[in-house]
Amino acid sequence: MARNPKYDILFEPIKLGPKTMKNRFYQIPHCNGFGSEKPLSQAYFRSLKAEGGYGACCTEYCSISPESDDTHRVSARLWDDDDVKNLSVMCDMLHGYGALAAAELWYGGPHAPCMESRCVPRGPSQIPSDFEHLTYPKQMDKDDIRAVQKMYVDAAIRARKAGFDIVYVYGSHSYLPQQFLTPYYNKRTDEYGGSFENRARFWRETIEMVKDAVGHDTAIAVRMSTDMFMGEPGTQLERDCLPFVQMVDDIVDVWDINVSGISEWGEDATPSRFYPSGRMLPWQEAVKKVSKKPVLGVGRFTNPDLMVDAIKTGKLDIIATCRPSISDPWLPRKIDEGRLDDIRECIGCNICISRWEIGGPPLICTQNATAGEEYRRGWHPEIFSKAKNADNDVLVIGAGPAGMECAMILGKRGMRRVHLVEADKDMGGIMSWIPQLPGLGEWARVVNYRKIQIGKLKNVEFVPNKRLSANDIKTYGAEIVIVATGSYWATDGLNGASHDAIPGADASLAWQLTPEQIMVEGKKVPGKKVVIIDNDGYFMGVSLAEKLAMEGKQVTIMSHQAHIAKYMDFTLESPNQNRKLHKLGVEIVTEHLPTRLEPGKVHAAHVFDEEAHDKVWEADAVVLVTQRRSNEALYRELKDKVGFGALKKEGISAVYRIGDCVAPRLIADVVFDGHRLAREIDSANPEEPLPYKRERRVIDLMGAKAEIDEHRAALAAAGAR
Amino acid sequence: MKLVVCVKLVKILGDEVEFKPDGMDVDPDYLEAALNEWDACALEEALLIRERLGAAEVVAVTAGASGSEEALRRCLAMGADRAIRVESTAEDPLSTARELVAAVTPESPDLVLCGVQSSDSVQGSTGTALSELLGLPCVAVVKKLEWAGSGPATAHRELEGGLIDIVEVDTPAVLTIQTGINQPRYATLRAIKVAEQQEIVVIRGPSDGPPAYRIRRMFAPPKGHGAQMLEGGPDEIAKQIAGIIRERLK
Repeated sequence: MARNPKYDILFEPIKLGPKTMKNRFYQIPHCNGFGSEKPLSQAYFRSLKAEGGYGACCTEYCSISPESDDTHRVSARLWDDDDVKNLSVMCDMLHGYGALAAAELWYGGPHAPCMESRCVPRGPSQIPSDFEHLTYPKQMDKDDIRAVQKMYVDAAIRARKAGFDIVYVYGSHSYLPQQFLTPYYNKRTDEYGGSFENRARFWRETIEMVKDAVGHDTAIAVRMSTDMFMGEPGTQLERDCLPFVQMVDDIVDVWDINVSGISEWGEDATPSRFYPSGRMLPWQEAVKKVSKKPVLGVGRFTNPDLMVDAIKTGKLDIIATCRPSISDPWLPRKIDEGRLDDIRECIGCNICISRWEIGGPPLICTQNATAGEEYRRGWHPEIFSKAKNADNDVLVIGAGPAGMECAMILGKRGMRRVHLVEADKDMGGIMSWIPQLPGLGEWARVVNYRKIQIGKLKNVEFVPNKRLSANDIKTYGAEIVIVATGSYWATDGLNGASHDAIPGADASLAWQLTPEQIMVEGKKVPGKKVVIIDNDGYFMGVSLAEKLAMEGKQVTIMSHQAHIAKYMDFTLESPNQNRKLHKLGVEIVTEHLPTRLEPGKVHAAHVFDEEAHDKVWEADAVVLVTQRRSNEALYRELKDKVGFGALKKEGISAVYRIGDCVAPRLIADVVFDGHRLAREIDSANPEEPLPYKRERRVIDLMGAKAEIDEHRAALAAAGAR
Repeated sequence: MKLVVCVKLVKILGDEVEFKPDGMDVDPDYLEAALNEWDACALEEALLIRERLGAAEVVAVTAGASGSEEALRRCLAMGADRAIRVESTAEDPLSTARELVAAVTPESPDLVLCGVQSSDSVQGSTGTALSELLGLPCVAVVKKLEWAGSGPATAHRELEGGLIDIVEVDTPAVLTIQTGINQPRYATLRAIKVAEQQEIVVIRGPSDGPPAYRIRRMFAPPKGHGAQMLEGGPDEIAKQIAGIIRERLK
């Protein structure tokens, strides 16, 4: 199919200083958990986007010194020539696809606790980080300033050596250069603090030095937060940002513009729950008005019409994406080929970000099960080998996210026939009602994308309104049966805190409800006072609290943890979700466990009260968000009552199960589960995941022995008795 | 008791449309095929009658080239007892009806069910033409059917504006079935596999008589001039709409 001419502007090249980018699609610096120490994972991950049409791809934040060490979070590093070697793989692969490579040179100051390097970070003033409260910076004197500026220069030289076309002097998210610019961080009284010119000095000098070192053939990018939304103490658009842009515009080749500081960077990486796409356009436009250089920025852009509009109305020159490039690395290519239907749109759940926030693991993506698996499992989101056992018919029972994903991938792998059978009238399973919770409308894209793709697959048939019994399955005529029957919320208050049911909990009673009873069955929530018992700790409890409060209920949400919805800290949704609940007058009760329920009353005790004094909350209704249980019954019947032997006699060679019906987990993980089974349906034992490549050092035993011997000899020589 | 259902494998357009060099039809590369939606309802209705009455033979018939057997296989998988294809290149309703006669007449059916129309040609005439050639009464656009297995059938016909016309017709008769009368059943994998192996009887039709029409040219209509396309993001479009309204109100 051909590109719609109205998108032509997105494919026009653009000069970035000495370099030219082939189109307007830019993968902004973002974390993936790979850094410099998993170089192939890094290179495969980034180059997939270049293959998908991105004109430029960036590293994540790239540390310029052991003093900028964010362990347990994974950054890239350019400390030495071995790092250069490792990152050069990424540059080579990007260049192979005609894309530019960018390194986001980063010094974190007090936000980087140096838990691996044990160095002390330096900063403009000695105040502990607002992000890492135990980390104090060393207050920089002039020698420190020169030393750190030299780190930027040396790192830029290494970056150029590795093959990077663009180097950043990165300040956004309250990192060092922006700390100097911002009164909140900079209380200095010398020429590096106080007035705007003084506060701008460090950043300006550093850009000049980096430009001197590599600017002749390497583009200089500056990533800047225009406004930290902190009022006077924070960076402000008019007072700090626009004057800075004007001050250094001549020596900067491209501006990367966003908002927010680090402790609430969900204002930049906006969850779809709170913000639509393009949230930062007004700030990006403000910079574009005062700059003569190209301006790029993100905004969770998935819609090409919005992208075109941003450029045509003078808000951005280049459309940058982070999360939409994770959910679909081939976004530009699909726009180019007129395949808008095939774009796997980001849902703004921030599950990817949550992995970085937790620190350590590779990223994952709810929409794209291959994110993070490009190297270690060799998965390509758009290319599927024909299954060796394609001459089989498959029955997938349950069209929730796991079942849909599995059926879709099996279809793309050429299985002869796939029947996706669902008891309900439409695809979606749990995702047919979760997107109806407040703010979660974009999450419906998980279903919409798969519905469209399955509709296009001639070998996949969706059969709705059919609840199959074990006997139906036995005689259905499939050779492979995959059970994807999902999960349900416990009706007896069973929970991970007490590992027991709650005495008196029984969702069959009119005044007790589970999430599905409310959202699917439409069970009425009686009375006015509602107590939500939330031992889950992710979005379900708080979303229902918001919904019921908006419907006029007086809501209390009770958690055994120190604060509610802990996982939403990692998805950056916590601050705004808490603000919402406060505004709605929801009572938030933490560190309490219910002891028993009786009509009209929830009895609970403080978790640290050894005498467990009884406290009572009045409740006309109780909502049990305590834990989920797998819908195992059908699988158990097939395995335990009918027996796999009997099924074999009917021609069923294998029965698998996927998703929540194995164990309830994140939507991203059940989509992964369905995907993996389909990718490995022709392995020797599909039930067991194939081993994945681990990028780790494997010891050379001869060399190690030599090193150990040498070490021992040195100790002996140094005077060990 | 015998029910004959006449079905068609229809052509379905994808996202892209390209025409054959001769300009007479869409390039087959850009077409997919499926059992006509109306005919699926007709077959389902026959199966429901069989279930209600406890016994009946349901025979699916089509007129077309060998590729059209895909439609018959679907009918067999859904539960038809037998399938017959009339080898044919007929393109218009009258020619198609002439071909179908060759398969229908020998069956001496009690009821002949057809779809009201096909989704690709949309002529809405084959069933009626067939009834004429068979010399049987025809009731068209049936939304509900009641029949005891012999004697007259009562058909509820869908008219404009939500009106229902209730008609009693002697059997044998031809009925054209409207979508919405039922929800065609899905076939299990086993039924599909069994249907793959079932024999489809192929016969030759009369192949005489002039067609109802000849296709001269097929093309996508040119974009009209009555609509002004607005482009841009939501803000841009809103501004343009406001401007147009202000202008027109002057």
